[in-house]
Amino acid sequence: MPQPLNSKEQALFRLVVRSYEDKQYKKGVKTADQILKKFPKHGDTMAMKALILNAQGRTEEAFGLGKEALTADMKSHVCWHVYGLLYRAAKNFEEASKAYKFALKLEPESAQIQRDLAVLQVQMRDYPGYIQSRRAMLQARPQIRQNWTALSIAYHLDGNLTEAEKVLSAYEGTLKQTPSRLDLEHSESVMYKNSLIGEQGDYQRALDHLEDAAKYNLDRLAVMESRAEYLQKLGRNEEAAKAYRALLDRNPDHQAYYAKLTQALGISDDDVKARKAIYDEYSAKFPRCDAARRLPLDFLSGDDFEEAAESYLTLMLNKGVPSTFANLKHLYSDDFKKEVLPELAENYLESQGADASSKDKGEAAALYFLAQHYNYRLSRDLDQADEYVNKAIEKDPKSVDYNMTKARILKHRGDIKKAAEAMDYARTLDLRDRYINSKAAKYHLRNNDNEKALKTVGLFTRADTVGGPLVDLLDMQCVWFLTEDGEAYTRRGNIGLALKRLQAVANIFDVWQEDQFDFHTFSLRKGQIRAYVDMIRWEDHIRDHPFYSRAALAAIDIYLDLAAKPAENGVNGEDTDEALAKKKAAKKAKKEQQRLEREAAEKQAKQDPNKASSSQTDEVKKKDDDPLGLKLAATEDPLGDAVKLLAPLLQVCPKSLEAQHAGFEVYLLRGKYILALRCLRAAIEIDPSSPKVHEQTIAFRHALNQATDLPAKVLEVLKEEFKAIEPSEDLKKVNDAFQAKHKSSPPHQLAALRAQHILGEDKARTNKEVLGLLELPEIEFAHALEALELLQKWRSSEIETFRKAALAKWPQVTRLE
Amino acid sequence: MDIRLLTNADLPLIQHANLENLPENYFLKYYLYHSLSWPQLSFVAVDVSRPQKSPYDYPKIVGYVLAKMEEEPSDGIPHGHITSLSVMRTHRRLGIAEKLMRQSQLAMVETYQAKYVSLHVRVSNVAARHLYEDTLGFQNEKTEAKYYADGEDAFSMRLDLDDIRKQINEAQEQEDQNGEAADEGEAVGEVGRDPKASERQVKVAVGRSLGVGDLVEKDESKH
Repeated sequence: MPQPLNSKEQALFRLVVRSYEDKQYKKGVKTADQILKKFPKHGDTMAMKALILNAQGRTEEAFGLGKEALTADMKSHVCWHVYGLLYRAAKNFEEASKAYKFALKLEPESAQIQRDLAVLQVQMRDYPGYIQSRRAMLQARPQIRQNWTALSIAYHLDGNLTEAEKVLSAYEGTLKQTPSRLDLEHSESVMYKNSLIGEQGDYQRALDHLEDAAKYNLDRLAVMESRAEYLQKLGRNEEAAKAYRALLDRNPDHQAYYAKLTQALGISDDDVKARKAIYDEYSAKFPRCDAARRLPLDFLSGDDFEEAAESYLTLMLNKGVPSTFANLKHLYSDDFKKEVLPELAENYLESQGADASSKDKGEAAALYFLAQHYNYRLSRDLDQADEYVNKAIEKDPKSVDYNMTKARILKHRGDIKKAAEAMDYARTLDLRDRYINSKAAKYHLRNNDNEKALKTVGLFTRADTVGGPLVDLLDMQCVWFLTEDGEAYTRRGNIGLALKRLQAVANIFDVWQEDQFDFHTFSLRKGQIRAYVDMIRWEDHIRDHPFYSRAALAAIDIYLDLAAKPAENGVNGEDTDEALAKKKAAKKAKKEQQRLEREAAEKQAKQDPNKASSSQTDEVKKKDDDPLGLKLAATEDPLGDAVKLLAPLLQVCPKSLEAQHAGFEVYLLRGKYILALRCLRAAIEIDPSSPKVHEQTIAFRHALNQATDLPAKVLEVLKEEFKAIEPSEDLKKVNDAFQAKHKSSPPHQLAALRAQHILGEDKARTNKEVLGLLELPEIEFAHALEALELLQKWRSSEIETFRKAALAKWPQVTRLE
Repeated sequence: MDIRLLTNADLPLIQHANLENLPENYFLKYYLYHSLSWPQLSFVAVDVSRPQKSPYDYPKIVGYVLAKMEEEPSDGIPHGHITSLSVMRTHRRLGIAEKLMRQSQLAMVETYQAKYVSLHVRVSNVAARHLYEDTLGFQNEKTEAKYYADGEDAFSMRLDLDDIRKQINEAQEQEDQNGEAADEGEAVGEVGRDPKASERQVKVAVGRSLGVGDLVEKDESKH
C-alpha cells in the first residue's frame, strides 16, 4: 500500500510528478528530497526521484533507488510502475513488462499502467498479450471508438482477421446513426474494415461493402483501387477495365494500372500490338505522360522496338532531357536493345550535324547519352566514353551533369584520385546544389579523404549544430555518409573510427525501431489505421534494408579481422611494418582523444554558469565518451560484437548470400560448428556455384578434421548433415581440382587461393599463383585489389612485387599506388 | 518512372533522397509522422525498371513529395502544406515534381477538404520557383525574412484549390445524373449530392497532446 503523507507532503509529491512531466528535473529532485527528509522511506517518492534521475541520465543511481523504493514499499503500484519504466527506458522490455504486470495486479483499475503495458506488448509483438490488454481497456471504456479499433488491430496483427472484423462490426452496431461523411475516423474505419474483408479473400463481400459503406469515402484513391482489384478478382473484367481506366485518368504515370487494364481486357502477353495500342491511347490523351511512351519499350522487340525507341529517344533528346539514359539503361539486359539504342543516338547525332537549324541542346544531349552509354557496366568502353563526354563538355563547359559523368568515367578507370578532383570541379559549377555536393563528398571518401569529405558536406549541414557537420549528419541519420566514411576509415586502417561510423548506422536502425513506440497510441488518436498496420509490417523486417546489411557486413568483416589477428600475431610474433603502423595510428588516436577531452573541458569551464543552457528543460544530451571508437576497436570479444550485428541480418535476410557467408565465418571462428554449417547450407541453397561456397566447404571440412574436442552429439549431427566432402578426402586435391576446373575465372581462383591458405599449402606456391592471377585474360583491377588485400592479410613477402606488377598493368588505379 | 502513393517501407530512401538533395533535413520519425497522419498526401517517383540487385532491394526513390495538413491553421481554413519536395538531379526534366504535386493536391481536397496548399521556397531557388509559379500556378504571398537556418529568406506561396474542388464536384454531378449505371467508380469526388458539403467547415480532431509532441510542434524554419 502506498504510505500516506500529510497534506503538505501530498502537495509536494504532486509537484514532483508535475516537475517530471514538465522535464523540470532539478526542481523535481529538490522537491522529492524535501519529502524524503521527513519521510526517508516513502517508497513512491523514492520511485519518482528514481524516475527523474533516470531522465537525467543517471541510470545506475536510478535503478539503485528504484530497487530501494520497492524494498520500502513492495505493495505500491507506483514503485512497480516506475520500476517498469526504468527497464523500459533501458530497453529491457521483458523485465519492464513483468514489472508493469505486478503494478497492474496491485492497481487493476489504473488506465495508465494498462496503457503502458499494452504499448510495450505491441512493441514486443506479444500479440496474445496485447489482445488481452486491449480487451481489458475496451471493457473499461467501451464508449470510446479507439478502444474498439485497437482491439480489432490486435486481432488483425495476431492473424485473426474474422475476429478483427467482428469487433469493428460490433462497434458499428452501437452507432445510432451513421457518422458524417466528413468524419475522418469513421471514414478510415470503414476502409480498414473493407481491407480486412478483402484480406480474407472474400471479394464479393468486400466489393458489396465497398460500394455500400464506402461510396462517399474520403479516401477516394483507396476506394477506386480496391474496387478495381475486387472486380478483377471476381472476373468481372469489363467493369474492372473501366475501373482501371478511371485510375489511369487520375494518374497515367502508374505502371501497374496499365498491366491490370491489359489483363482485364483479356489481352495476352504475346499480343504485343494490342498491348502497345493501350499505351498509345494514353500517350495521345496525356501528352505529358512519360510512362505511356516509355513502358512499351520494355516489351516491344525487333522493328517495333526500333521504331518506338527512335521516337522516344528523339523526343527526349530534342527536349534535352538529361535523365534519358538513366531512364533507358535498364533495357540493356536485352542484347538487341543494347545494340539498337546507341545506334539510334548516333543517327540522331548525325541528323543534327546535317541539319543546320538544329539546336545545340539536342546534340549535346545525344553526346551525353552516348558518353553514359559507354560508361555503363553492360556496354563499357571508357575511351569512347571519354571522347563523347569531352565533346559534350566542349558544347557546354559549365554543365554539372557532363562534368559529373567525366568523374564517373575516371572512377571506373580506377583513378579515384582524379575522379574525386573532377567531381569536386563539377561541384564548383553549381555551389547551391546539394546533390552535386553530396557526390563530391562521396568521391572524396572513395579517395580515402575523410577530412575533405566532411568539409565538403559541411557546406550544407546546419551551421548552428553544436559539434559541427558530423553531429548534424548523425542527428539527421545520414546513413550514406556514415557508411562511406566508415568504409574509407577501414581502408585507411583506422579501425576505431571505422567501427564508430558503421556502428552508428546500426544505432540508427535501433532508433528507427524505437520510433514506432509513440505511434502505437498516436495512430489510434489520428485514426489512420491502415497506414499504422503498414508501418508495423515494415518495422518487422526493417533490418533487411541494404542500408543495414552493407554497414553490418563491413563491421563484421572488421571484427573477423580483429578476432583472427591475435592468433596470427602469436604465430610469428615479430613486429611487422603493419603492426608498427597500427601502433603508430593508435598512439596518434590517443593523442587526438586527449586533445578532444581537453577542449571539451575548456569549453565547459568557459561557459557562464549563470546562463541557462539553450533549452529550458533539464534534458541531457548524452556525451559521447568514445568519439574516436578506441573502445570499440579495443573490444575483448570481437566475435560477440559481430554476432550482435549478424543475428538480425540472418533473421531478416536469410536469402542473402553475403549474410550467410559472413555468418559462416563468424560461427566457425567461434567454434559453433552447427550454426556455421547452417549458414553454409543456406549459402549452397542460394548459389551452389558461388566461389565462396567452395572455399567455405573446404574450410569447414578442414576445421572438423582438426577439431578434437567436439561432443559426440555434435559430431553425430555434423556427420549426418555435412556430406559435401567426406572426411577421408584429400582437401588439397579437392582444391586443386577446383582450381583447374575454373582456370580462367579470377573469383574462383581467388577462392581457391584462400582455401590453399586455410589448408596451410606451401607459401611459395600460393604466392606464385597470386602473381599468376595477373596473367588471366579476364582479370579486372577489382580482382587485383582483392588479391592485394589477401597478400596484406597474410603478410606475404610478395606484396610489393604484386603491387608493382599490377600497377604496371593498370597504371591509373589509385588504390594500387 | 512510376508515380505512386508513398508507403512506410519507402521512408529510408526518401530520407536519403532528401539528404542528398536538400539542405533541410529531418529524422525518420518526422517522415513517419507525415505518413501516419496523412497517408493519402505523400507521393513518390520510383525507378521501377531497375533490375533487382538482391532479394532485399527496395524500390529506388528518384523523387518525392512530403505533404501534410496544417494541424491548427491560424486562419481557421483547412489547408495543406508541402513539407518537402525533391527530384534527384539525374531524373530532372521529366515533369516528375509537377506530377507528384498534382496527385498530392487532389488528395488534399478529396480527403481533407483543403481550400489551398501552401509552401516555402528559397528566394534564390529559381528552378523551384519556376515550377511553383509558372507550372503549378502558386502565388507569392509574402517574404519570410531569414526563414532558413542559413539566414536565407523564404517566399511563402500558396495555391488555391478551388479548381480541383470544382472538377471533383462536376465529376460527381455527372455521375449522379447518369444514375445507377454510373455508380461504377469513375467518380473522383465524394461530395456533390450535398451542395453545401463543400462549404462546410470541417472539424478535425488534430493537434492537442497527440503524443508525438516534439514532432507536431516542429517548426521547419528551424531546419
